[in-house]
Amino acid sequence: MGWPKLERRKAAIVARRDLRDAVSELRLIAAMVALTLAIPIASASGVRALAAFGGGTAVVNRLSLVGAFFVVFIPASFSLVLALESFVGERERTTLEVLLSTPLREAEIYAGKVAAVLAVSLSLCYGGLLVYCLITFPGLGYFPLGILVALALSTICQVAAMVAGAVIISINARTMRAANVMASFIILPMSVVLQIEAALILVGRAEFLWGFALLMAVAAVVFLRMGFNGFSREALLARDAGLRQPWRRALTAVRRSFDQRPSLLRLVWARRVPMVIATAGLPAGAFAGYLAGSTNVIPASVVKPVLTSLVRSTDTGNAVEEALAIFSHNVLAFILVAALAILTAGLSGFLLTFAPGFILGFVAALSSWAFALSGIVPNGLVEIPAAIIAGGLAIQIGATAIHMDARGGWTARVLGAVADYVRALRWLVPALAVASVLEVFLG
Amino acid sequence: MLQVEGLAKRYGEVLGLRDLTVKVDEGECLVLLGRNGAGKTTALRCMAGVLLPSAGTVRVDGINAADDPAAVRALVGLMPEVPGLYERMSARAYLDHFGAIYGLEPLLRRRRIDELLETFELTDAGDRWLGTFSKGMRQKVALIRATLHRPRLVLADEPTSALDPDSARRAWIYLKDLQKDGCGLVICTHSMEEAEHMAGEIGIMSDGRALAVGSLDKLRRRSGLKRRRVMRELPTLQDIYLSIVGNLGSNHDGLAETRTA
Repeated sequence: MGWPKLERRKAAIVARRDLRDAVSELRLIAAMVALTLAIPIASASGVRALAAFGGGTAVVNRLSLVGAFFVVFIPASFSLVLALESFVGERERTTLEVLLSTPLREAEIYAGKVAAVLAVSLSLCYGGLLVYCLITFPGLGYFPLGILVALALSTICQVAAMVAGAVIISINARTMRAANVMASFIILPMSVVLQIEAALILVGRAEFLWGFALLMAVAAVVFLRMGFNGFSREALLARDAGLRQPWRRALTAVRRSFDQRPSLLRLVWARRVPMVIATAGLPAGAFAGYLAGSTNVIPASVVKPVLTSLVRSTDTGNAVEEALAIFSHNVLAFILVAALAILTAGLSGFLLTFAPGFILGFVAALSSWAFALSGIVPNGLVEIPAAIIAGGLAIQIGATAIHMDARGGWTARVLGAVADYVRALRWLVPALAVASVLEVFLG
Repeated sequence: MLQVEGLAKRYGEVLGLRDLTVKVDEGECLVLLGRNGAGKTTALRCMAGVLLPSAGTVRVDGINAADDPAAVRALVGLMPEVPGLYERMSARAYLDHFGAIYGLEPLLRRRRIDELLETFELTDAGDRWLGTFSKGMRQKVALIRATLHRPRLVLADEPTSALDPDSARRAWIYLKDLQKDGCGLVICTHSMEEAEHMAGEIGIMSDGRALAVGSLDKLRRRSGLKRRRVMRELPTLQDIYLSIVGNLGSNHDGLAETRTA
């Protein structure tokens, strides 16, 4: 699926109007000036003061990076407000309907609006960062260019991801009040992302931050693409009807999602691509685990206690209880994987095969492949296919969750994917029971 | 110019519009009447190429809205029920913005904006923010916006509902002038006076269906209503409308209407 066609001139008309609107409010201009100047100046002054009054070099250097993060983070978070205003605000005030009645394509409206929000937010971020750098670093004898560039790049991606998130919200919220509540779905994961970024900054290694920026770039592209796919006239205008009796509609939708689902074998064939991905998770994990074990990237002293405690937790002395413990652990893992699939875009499904593969490879690196493989036979013959099917279906749930369609129907598609998973559990749970019995009595 | 055949629009489980067939030729006006929720706005959105039909076809100047909705939108001027103006823009800047979207040259759009602001007595308010405008003034700006690019077809949802009688009359004259220039009109309204004044054809809608479509005379015949006893007047459009949608009492407003056998 290629990127949509658009006329830049038309997108620029939309962007120009949105920019003009954003800077036409006095309070907003005041906030922009404060963010761009006051906070960086205050932060930079703090770092300079610490350096001047004898703070240790290591502390000052680290603090100067945290200051840069702080300066960029506040205006970046501001982009969510701007984006919600641009998409949901316009929808609420019905100005979006007027824009949608013009010959502009959805791609032009979307690109124009995203460009306007990015322009304002990134001007604030980089303006603030520039002011901060100009005050903080001259004479400090330390200028972490690599880290600052990685920080700037990941900021673009964070802002883009938040803007795309706001578009997805705009499709589902018709008022700013509803949008503000739904914005939690962006703010919460974003706060986790920012904490990870802050931790990486404290570590102070540019290559980690570059890796993080790369991941953020991929996430931003996925989210922008999702936002575009969902931003359609049909989705924005056509859903004002038929919203009565929400509980009845929800129950009908759940019931309908279970109707006419394919049988397990047909399902496995229909979902062969995610199945292949899940299958690839096992050797990929084994390879990664073997590498980690043989190169001592993860020391054996760290992994061994974890593995030992994992084995001990199921070893109750009583064979039936042991089988029950293994069975319940596996069922719990299958349920968690499905529950997390929507939030992790299906990554949890991949991990269902990757993680055991990793442990297998790691054990093989510490001993031998024969020893490692003997640990998963014969139960693995049942357990691994079950994990591949569950993993593949979980990947499908994640892929469905991040796929936006101009015709709408997101809920029905996700419910359908979840229904496939739940129906498959009718076969997978007994398989896990058989595997646990094999593991305890024959393993 | 506008050909709608078997148009249906479904919103999930709700059928918003079903089997609508109407035609508007150059310089003709179709007025759609109906209760709130009858499907008029949905019909306009489909005709404007904003929403795609679930079934049936919409053609404007021979272009199928399902095949090239952007081309249809370029030929059409849609005036929604709510003006939907940008509050922090002056009327001139706002109209200029939409003129640019429709690809009008800067000089041409400036000239047209000046002309139209004068037609609607908004010249003095042209540089004020739209947020300071009254309801009626906003509706006038919305009408100017919808017609600025001289569309082949104007689709207006209650275009004069917020206007005072004098301004409404002025708007009707303006729309009639567009009609004379060959522009087709489709107007949704609750004002029977407006409908009688503007319509060549009238469509009466209920529950997403067109109950009747035709000229006033044709609808009068179809309704089966006789002349009023008092003054021997012909039944008004109001009488015909109520008769067709089934709400007419035997003694409505003191006028004794009777159905022909």
